[in-house]
Amino acid sequence: MPDRDYLGEFEHIVLLALLRLEDRAYGVTVRQEIEFRTDREVSIGAVYATLDRLETKGYVRSRHGDPTPERGGRSKRFFRVTPKGVAAVNRTQLALLNMTEGLSLIRSHP
Amino acid sequence: MMVRSLADEPPRAATWLVSLFTLAQETESILGDLLEEYSSLASREGTAFARRWYWRQTLKTIVHLIPTAFTVAPWSTAAGLAVGFTATKPLVRLPGRIILAVLERYQVYEHHFATYVFFASTGIDLGILISFLCVGCIVAWIAKGTEMAATIVLSMVQVAMALVAVVYLLGKSGGLHFWMLSWSLADALAIVIGGAIVRLSRFNTTRVPALRSD
Repeated sequence: MPDRDYLGEFEHIVLLALLRLEDRAYGVTVRQEIEFRTDREVSIGAVYATLDRLETKGYVRSRHGDPTPERGGRSKRFFRVTPKGVAAVNRTQLALLNMTEGLSLIRSHP
Repeated sequence: MMVRSLADEPPRAATWLVSLFTLAQETESILGDLLEEYSSLASREGTAFARRWYWRQTLKTIVHLIPTAFTVAPWSTAAGLAVGFTATKPLVRLPGRIILAVLERYQVYEHHFATYVFFASTGIDLGILISFLCVGCIVAWIAKGTEMAATIVLSMVQVAMALVAVVYLLGKSGGLHFWMLSWSLADALAIVIGGAIVRLSRFNTTRVPALRSD
């Protein structure tokens, strides 16, 4: 039942970054957004590996922008979350909320 | 007018490694992303910091992207591996047969003994090495876009089989067979080099010429 799949931790984080960035989401901005919000160093390879997996599942779509000189004439690959991806995020968020309901995790953390 | 000096460029070896190991369809995007961040870091934190960051990103990126080949292009990667695995045995036997047939045909043993010894030992070993290089090329040719992942996996299988054989021989005869292991490592390396040759030739023919920044 692939449509009932829950997202992996990093898949979830990447999809949330795409939703935050909207039409500005490409490798650099996604990587920086995740680093900024999770405070952990992320490689561009990890981001692309996850985005490829999400694209195979139909959770994201990508398109190439125009080549720019500051990128050595290389184009940006922009990503966008599909409705199926949004549904997967909601499903995972809901599962996490249900699992954490009644737990005071942040306060009990040392 | 913006002129890029050599210090502004990211490490070439790292860029070469990224272009070798990333999936063909995303090499340009990843290299562009890395260059964009490198330039920004170099102007903010200095070139040395940016170069260290670039190398760190390169190594982590390679580690992450090799397994991706099996999810992005599972069929061509698996087909490349299967053909490579089946073709290895008949292909590596060929050089020995050919060299020995030629030596016998021209009666080298009788007339040039030193030449005979060289070709019957080192010549055959080199021939086998070239055969493994060809196997790497064949695997990479089939596994289009995931050349390096396919050849690395096949070379790891070869090394694993050699290790099993060494352990088996160690238990049977008690002697160490490091020579066998060293040749197997060289054969495995030849497979990966074959993959790299095909990958780079494809990359050079399909890449879009970079826009000048000046």
